[in-house]
Amino acid sequence: MQTARDAGLVGCTRCGKVWPAQTRECGRCGAALKRVDTAGLQAVWAWWFAGLIFYIPANLYPMLRTSTLAGNQQNTIIGGVIELITHHSYFVAAVVFVASVVIPVSKFIAIAYLALAVGNEHRAGAHRHLHLFEVVEFIGRWSMVDVFVVAILSALVQLGAVVSIHPGPAAAAFALSVALTMLSAQSFDPRLIWRGPARTTGP
Amino acid sequence: MTDELRPADLETSPAPNPIWTRLSVIWLVPLVALAITLGIAWQSYADRGTLIEIDFADATGVRPGETVLKFREVEVGRVETVGFSRDLSSVRIGVRVNKDVAHFVDSEARFWLVRPQVSAQGISRLDTVLSGTFIEGYWDAESAGPQTEFQGLDKPPVTPDPTKGTWVELRAEDAGGLAEGAPVLFRGITVGRIQNLRLNDADSGVIIDAFIDAPHDRRLTTNTRFWDTSGISVSLSASGVSLDMRSLASLVQGGIEFDTFTTGGTFIQNGFPFRLYGTSEAARTSIFGSDLAEPARYTLLFDDAIEGLQRGSKVQFRGVEAGEVTDLSIKVLTDSTGTRYAQQQVVIALSPERLGLARGTERDIVNEFLATEVDSGLRARVAGVGLLGSTLVIELTDVPNVPPAVINLTAQPYPTLPTAEAKTNDLAASAEGVFQRIEALPIEELMASAIRSLDSISAVAESEDTRAVPGELAGLLEELRALVERLNQGGASEKAIAALDGMTEAASTVMSEFEGLAETLASTDAAAQAVAEMPLGEIGTKIDGILADIRTMLGSEDAERLPRALSDTLEESAALLAELREGGAAEKINGTLVAAQDAATAIESASERLPELTAKLESLVTTAERLVASYGERSAFNAEVLDTMRELRRATSAFGSLARMIERNPRAFILGR
Repeated sequence: MQTARDAGLVGCTRCGKVWPAQTRECGRCGAALKRVDTAGLQAVWAWWFAGLIFYIPANLYPMLRTSTLAGNQQNTIIGGVIELITHHSYFVAAVVFVASVVIPVSKFIAIAYLALAVGNEHRAGAHRHLHLFEVVEFIGRWSMVDVFVVAILSALVQLGAVVSIHPGPAAAAFALSVALTMLSAQSFDPRLIWRGPARTTGP
Repeated sequence: MTDELRPADLETSPAPNPIWTRLSVIWLVPLVALAITLGIAWQSYADRGTLIEIDFADATGVRPGETVLKFREVEVGRVETVGFSRDLSSVRIGVRVNKDVAHFVDSEARFWLVRPQVSAQGISRLDTVLSGTFIEGYWDAESAGPQTEFQGLDKPPVTPDPTKGTWVELRAEDAGGLAEGAPVLFRGITVGRIQNLRLNDADSGVIIDAFIDAPHDRRLTTNTRFWDTSGISVSLSASGVSLDMRSLASLVQGGIEFDTFTTGGTFIQNGFPFRLYGTSEAARTSIFGSDLAEPARYTLLFDDAIEGLQRGSKVQFRGVEAGEVTDLSIKVLTDSTGTRYAQQQVVIALSPERLGLARGTERDIVNEFLATEVDSGLRARVAGVGLLGSTLVIELTDVPNVPPAVINLTAQPYPTLPTAEAKTNDLAASAEGVFQRIEALPIEELMASAIRSLDSISAVAESEDTRAVPGELAGLLEELRALVERLNQGGASEKAIAALDGMTEAASTVMSEFEGLAETLASTDAAAQAVAEMPLGEIGTKIDGILADIRTMLGSEDAERLPRALSDTLEESAALLAELREGGAAEKINGTLVAAQDAATAIESASERLPELTAKLESLVTTAERLVASYGERSAFNAEVLDTMRELRRATSAFGSLARMIERNPRAFILGR
């Protein structure tokens, strides 16, 4: 399969018009033309690692601090899920677990897989890789559902001494982690999926 | 054609950029993220504080991660682990103490669990019902070397800060109604708590720790007295029933009140011993007596019975109150021949300061002092005090002529003081003699003989002979009537007149011969004078005395029986009269009275001649008067003769009135009225 790179062309990422490889600027929409380059992967990996680093305290520190008459309660993400299960709220537990654990972890795995797969000879899977990338991009924003829940609860449940909810340090870490993984996914140039093994020779 | 040598095409490739030139600045992002995360982790680790372990008997409501440690109600730590000590005898709670206070938690620190408490004083720490149990700790601001293992208190301490008040030790015979945590009151205000009720070493009493909060502990001096206000005190007096109850808490838990009745005491240190009195009266009166907070105890062994001695009886040291009896018991001993005998064992508590020694003197010094005194003849003995010697005390005094003895310092539980025989009270002895003599008086016999006399009288009244008296009386009257009749018939009047005539003559004769009689009369007069001079006064006094005695006798109990005997007698008399009536006595009497009336009629008829007789008598009297007048006026003879004459005249008239009365009321003759 011949790719644009093989043909010495470069495509505009904004309007899709193909230009010779040396063209600096898209003559149609004026967007800067970027060469398909593995250097972009560095940004992917950088955001990815930053996101992963923040994901660790997001799981170790408490997400929610609930003060009620009966005392203070602090829950980490997993602790909250376990507590919800003990209270037989399986649906909510599943939602929290999927949104806070399954999706972010899947995203890390998916981005890492895509980044590692760049330049691989197995081009047969390129279409599946593109689907995976589109899913990751789409689902990325939904990872924030946990942060939204904490934000809404903190804003609504402020009944003084009776009960009040405050976000824990994990909430910030989790939000950062989600944001960084989203940046990581955005930094990924989907054209790399099709590029194949890096070649130093021109066409 | 020659091969044209031409160099092969160089395969060139751009030199690979050095790795640092290919690195993007984007890599700073994960580095910053890593730095932030590591920084947070380091901070968390650095701030996590010190882990201490506290052992509690149980860990009710303690949950790891939730239960907090509080200092002055501020959270300073959190329980991390709940486990057991190695021998499973207690619960070991691991607490992470905040770093800023951890270095103050030294060996002085105390920890206890705070739970809701429902007691007689009310409900406290109700907040822990919702917030859950927490661990309260208290430590001072001086750090004396951190410690990581602690023993938790079973219950909250009376006061978290022992420097804000004073501890005193109360000694009592028994704990009464006092319970742990009972209030200490000062004029009805709670100013402290009691704690740590325990027996003393000899099991002879209890020791109670009382904590008086500052600033009320300023009121404590050596003259302070403590007393028990537990329960209800009911007293009955002339003003009515008085019910005194301090507070509901005092009723349930007991309570202790204190007051300083006199000034002049010195301020006290922690742990100063006080005696706990049973009542406020006892505490009040004790300010003049000895405060037996730290008594020296001794055992006394008596051979004699000591009935009347009781706990609380006074002990006098040479006449000064120096202590009291704290226990009485029997000690069975076996002598050298194997015979068992019992001795009365009395335990006395002596106040050293009352013996002339300093307050709080060591036992050994008191023992030494008493040993010296025993050498010089000091003995313990039972003595009676009070007017009749009825109150028994123990007397420690010098007894003369006693065999030498020593104090037995090795005896258990207390040293034994030698004893002497009981002392008898002189006044009591003489009073006893008086009572004995009174007791010996034969009052019963006296009363018995009096009763016997009355019985005899009633027996006489009851006897047949007495009953025969009316019959004899009738017979007598009969005879009288016959006599009167005879007189009537025999012209007694005439004879009387003749006799009077004779008398007149005789008087005339006498008158002629009277001159010789003067001397005789004078001597008679003297005799009369002598009789008049007789000491009748003395006799009268004696009679009075006799009467007084009789009156006293009648005042006695036995005299009460007299009226009963008298009434018996009267009843018998009445019965006798009834018998008389039934026996026709009245008829007989009537007959007698008829006869008497007849006699009276005869007398009346005879008295018709009385004027003549009277005239004669009067002439006789006149003659006599003349005679007397001739004898001389104002002489004793004259007066006496005149009296005789008057009597004679009165007899005459009485005779007439008697006759009339009998005529009017014949019964009077029988009944006397």
